[in-house]
Amino acid sequence: MKKDSGPDWNTLLVRVGSHQDKAAFGALFSHFAPLLKGFLLKGGGVEPEQAEELVQETMIKVWRKAPSYAPAQAAASTWMYTIARNTRIDWLRKHSKKNQQTDELVAEDLFDENEESSPFTALIQTRNAGNIKAHLAELPQEQLQVLTLMYFQGKSGQEVADELSIPLGTVKSRVRLALQKLKLKLSPTGEDQQVVYAQ
Amino acid sequence: MIKNHPPTQFLADYSAGALSLAPAISVTTHLQFCDQCREAVSGLNALGGELLNDCEGIEISSSLLAETLDRLDAPMESAATSPSAQGDTTALIDSDLANELPDYLHKFVGRSTLNWRSLSSSVSVAPITVGESDYELALHRIEAGGKTPVHDHQGTEVTVVLKGTFSDEQGMYHEGDFLIREAGDVHQPIAAQNESCVCLSVLSAPIKLTGIKQVLNPFMRFNPS
Repeated sequence: MKKDSGPDWNTLLVRVGSHQDKAAFGALFSHFAPLLKGFLLKGGGVEPEQAEELVQETMIKVWRKAPSYAPAQAAASTWMYTIARNTRIDWLRKHSKKNQQTDELVAEDLFDENEESSPFTALIQTRNAGNIKAHLAELPQEQLQVLTLMYFQGKSGQEVADELSIPLGTVKSRVRLALQKLKLKLSPTGEDQQVVYAQ
Repeated sequence: MIKNHPPTQFLADYSAGALSLAPAISVTTHLQFCDQCREAVSGLNALGGELLNDCEGIEISSSLLAETLDRLDAPMESAATSPSAQGDTTALIDSDLANELPDYLHKFVGRSTLNWRSLSSSVSVAPITVGESDYELALHRIEAGGKTPVHDHQGTEVTVVLKGTFSDEQGMYHEGDFLIREAGDVHQPIAAQNESCVCLSVLSAPIKLTGIKQVLNPFMRFNPS
């Protein structure tokens, strides 16, 4: 039940993992490399030539990690997003003056991508992907702006609030409203958990 | 049943890659216990994937694919995973403790020998080195029935309960619970009577003890390096 015409990226990615299929990799590369470059350049702080370096690094990781890719857990684009995000985190950390220790963890260590998927994972994943596709274009500009700043630039809610000169509470509520519109699950804990603990 | 979770914005910051190492580790640790937050993060990551899909592509150099293909067969670079996270690091953790920690934490805790220090007769702390300067990551252990000293916070403290339970003025916390204390909160955690409690904690600034801080404060400060 694919709405998109064109290649099925998930299947190609599985083939890369199971057969070290370079033709499949080439097809993925031709599609995703320009998107990744656009994604990284939108973030700022990365020059065009560095962006290609990061794209290459991301795609090499895709090749190496493809055997662990599970289509039931995440769409190819979601999986690529997390790899690109981690590559950017490591790159930014390497170029930050604050962290100068050499024996460092890499971002991949922080996240946990090797979870076994439950029978529900595939259902939830399909439902989420459908809802996001269906409703992303309906988001008000102010909500989309906050999300793109966060995802493209790797900015926290606080950093987005600072950049837009709006209160953190406004950022939080825009994120929450956007997620509700996209029918994504929110944290079971109320947003302002800290209020409960005040005093 | 887990009642305390990272707030939505905290999960969104995590998914966007905006959290520093130690807070990110605290979220992944919570996810080891919590399917609900795991589902929320999976949705947030899917949103990142769709934003990537929707992104306006920018043309790349024509030679980049060929160069990349050339590099695919090169030997694995060690940069993919840090060496310490690859090997069998659990040997460095004593087996009692290893059983109390989710597997996910072994690679961090096992990076170097844990150096437990007593904060009081019933509370000890062991810093975990992850190579960052903004936050202090540590394990705390409160012995059965033990009380931590009353303290307040100059910065934010995140606590994830790994084993056992503890309570404070606001409630009781079980394995997997994720708590945030803001600067200015004063509290006194107490472990359950029947078993000790082990928590992962992330501090953004040293905590100070209320009242007798000049005596105990030096012990509360620990450095991650």
